[in-house]
Amino acid sequence: MSTSMAAVHGSSPVPVVAHAADTAVAMEEKVTVRSLNFYYGGNRALKDINVSLYAKRVTAFIGPSGCGKSTLLRVLNRVYDLYPHQRAEGEVMLDGENILAPAQDLNLLRARVGMVFQKPTPFPMSIYENIAFGVRLYERAGKADLDMRVEQALRRAALWDEVKDKLGANGLSLSGGQQQRLCIARTVAVKPEVILLDEPCSALDPISTAKIEGLIDELKDDYTIAIVTHNMQQAARCSDFTAFMYLGELVEYGTTSKMFTTPTDRRTQDYITGRFG
Amino acid sequence: MQSPGRRSVVDVAFQGTLRADPAAASRARTLTKLRLTDNAFRQITRAAAVGVLLILGGVIFSLFEGALPAFRAFGVNFLVQESWNPVTEKFGAFAPIYGTIMTSFIAMAIAVPLGLLIALFLTELCPLWLRRPIGIAIELLAGIPSIIYGIWGLFVFAPFLQQYVQPALIDIFGHVPVLSSLFAGPPYGIGVLTAGLILAIMVLPFITSVSRDVFEAVPPVLKEAAYGLGCTTWEVVRYVVLPYTRVGVIGGIMLGLGRALGETMAVTFVIGNAHRVSSSLIAPGTTISATIANEFTEAVGDLYTSSLIALGFLLFVITFIVLAAARYLLARIERRIG
Amino acid sequence: MDLYARRRLRNRIVMVLSYAATGVGLGWLALILGTLVFEGASGLSLKVFTEMTPPPGADGGLLNPIVGSLIMTAIAVAIGTPVGILAGTYMAEYGRYSKLAHVVRFINDILLSAPSIVIGLFVYELMVAPMGHFSGIAGAVALAVLVIPVVVRTTEDMLSLVPKELREAATALGMPLAYVIGKVSYRAARAGIITGILLAIARISGETAPILFTALNNQFFSTNLNAPMASLPAVIFQFALSPYHDWQKLAWTGALIITMAVLALSITARMLASSRKMS
Repeated sequence: MSTSMAAVHGSSPVPVVAHAADTAVAMEEKVTVRSLNFYYGGNRALKDINVSLYAKRVTAFIGPSGCGKSTLLRVLNRVYDLYPHQRAEGEVMLDGENILAPAQDLNLLRARVGMVFQKPTPFPMSIYENIAFGVRLYERAGKADLDMRVEQALRRAALWDEVKDKLGANGLSLSGGQQQRLCIARTVAVKPEVILLDEPCSALDPISTAKIEGLIDELKDDYTIAIVTHNMQQAARCSDFTAFMYLGELVEYGTTSKMFTTPTDRRTQDYITGRFG
Repeated sequence: MQSPGRRSVVDVAFQGTLRADPAAASRARTLTKLRLTDNAFRQITRAAAVGVLLILGGVIFSLFEGALPAFRAFGVNFLVQESWNPVTEKFGAFAPIYGTIMTSFIAMAIAVPLGLLIALFLTELCPLWLRRPIGIAIELLAGIPSIIYGIWGLFVFAPFLQQYVQPALIDIFGHVPVLSSLFAGPPYGIGVLTAGLILAIMVLPFITSVSRDVFEAVPPVLKEAAYGLGCTTWEVVRYVVLPYTRVGVIGGIMLGLGRALGETMAVTFVIGNAHRVSSSLIAPGTTISATIANEFTEAVGDLYTSSLIALGFLLFVITFIVLAAARYLLARIERRIG
Repeated sequence: MDLYARRRLRNRIVMVLSYAATGVGLGWLALILGTLVFEGASGLSLKVFTEMTPPPGADGGLLNPIVGSLIMTAIAVAIGTPVGILAGTYMAEYGRYSKLAHVVRFINDILLSAPSIVIGLFVYELMVAPMGHFSGIAGAVALAVLVIPVVVRTTEDMLSLVPKELREAATALGMPLAYVIGKVSYRAARAGIITGILLAIARISGETAPILFTALNNQFFSTNLNAPMASLPAVIFQFALSPYHDWQKLAWTGALIITMAVLALSITARMLASSRKMS
């Protein structure tokens, strides 16, 4: 995939991307962040962020601890709203609508933008119920329909074969990697448009990690994906675009291949080559 | 720590040098004295701990002994006999038992939903700066002595119920087939329902504090995951928080139940003290503790006194079981959190 | 979006109910305290603290019940506190992981919430029946039995909070455990233990049931421990249930006095606890 996009500090032009089939396809911007500032109380954690997530592509956010990448992710589904001292200023456009507007319906937003957390969080219910619960929130489905949706979601998360005989077992009885895939299944079951992954593999062993990375590759056919990771190699493996953040600023943003081979900014290069971490 | 009589290396070392060095000798004496004091202190504290056990044993034993004449005279019939007649010396515990269960049931039916709702408010809806003051206010409710609830109930609450609420209840349910018997009879103001309501207010703070504590212990990431799916606050509480905290909440409820069962003064003032079992909630009745409180000092005759003590024994057994279950459940939660 | 609208409605209903429940809870508190102050304050005067309980229709005060309550509370605390502290010390220090401590902890928690009327019956059987008459000392003993579990629990909790580094440093100096406890742990946990004692006093101040058939009541001023002794709760019980208006008024005033005392103790205990946390 070749592109003529340069390192972005301010505006983001719509790039033209050449596909393997040699047809130029204009990529649509699914989520556009403009001049985002985020505050924990009086402390400014995100400084004037401008970035775009392109539809049906994987965008990775990398950077040292405390750079603000998880904070940025948590703005995209407004989960920070639960905490009174946290606030965001600026614009985040999802398909052209600003989700930071006070009038934005949060439940509907979260139906379109799903999130998987660092620590696997199965609900205290059976495996079947964990997934059916989400579906039931949004649709009136009969038992046959629900069964089908549950199976679909579990297949999508590559978990079906392992749990199809114990759907009634408690979600907590699964291994860590399986629990995380259950959370992914739960998230895709409600048919979101965007999936946010906040360091999804950091609590898992290498085999589970590999399985989930394979999943991400399949999921991007249908969903726009943003992944935060402190593992650079994971970002290089999984993502189409990479954004490097440092101390609350978005330092550089471009296609993954360019970011990891010829980054423009000195700081990006230092981080990627391991000079600091 | 060595027990006296067993020689430690230190002893031998010191004994060895005893004759040689007077400073070592005095140090040896000091250490021995310290060790003896330590042992004595150890035994004293141990005795005090055993003393607590002895108290419980004493309570059970003395109550059982005092109740024995009544149990011998009436047998199991004691539990189902409604009549309570000091003149003919025929005593049955049915009315007090019924009253105790009924008032506690009413109290829990009101206090549990209210308590859970207040806990929900305190953990999810309340602005941060208000949380401590309201929490303290609820705990103040728990600190008010029960006799205050009693006189308040008698002089303020009961007349209010008598004038406004009970006539309304009789009117509303008067013609409903099954429920009319629940609210039949003249509106005295005092009675089983009133006692149940007062108990509800007394039990409310316990359920609220325990529920609030366990609600706060739910890992935030679990709630975030539920909100992230698009759940409303109520859905997060119902499908995630409550199942997660189930054991603790039940423990708190049983704690409240234990208190409601044994509560004396608040109930005595407003229950009406009638040894009757009636299907109507607004009729007067009695509970175990109210019966004992009212009649003990005037009980004449050994069988009368023994019957009252038998009532006390029954009450203790019932509350012991409930409280033991509550403590067991709460201990499981504490181990999970801590 | 019918399903969605239903979900939002359900959520809204529950939220409103939570606000309402909190309002009801706080409202009760305000109502009870308000009535108490309203009815009881008008009767407050120096007379209440200096004159004896009157016969119906005459003027009087609450001197003998107040004094009686103070005496019995003081004795109850004097008996119950040492036992409680010693038992709590055993459970936190010497016998911390022992089976005995495990059992005692469980039993103690049950005694903490046990019906106080049952304790009254116990002391009746233990002291009043053999002695043949009611007495103030029996009342004090009944109250002591209520004090012990509270003090045991707080002592154990407070001593457990003493950082183990402190204990280890003292032991490393060669001090045996008793001295470590006496010179280090008690001092560190002092505020917490005092808080526990204050809470215990607050608890027994309003207790009526256990006194009813141990100390009974006394119309006249008496400090004789071997005879029935008046107490505020017992007098309130008697006066409130009577048909005499001045007696009822005195009952309200007595109730106000008790509540003020209990609230003052609780607030002091709470301030002590939080100042300890800050230091």
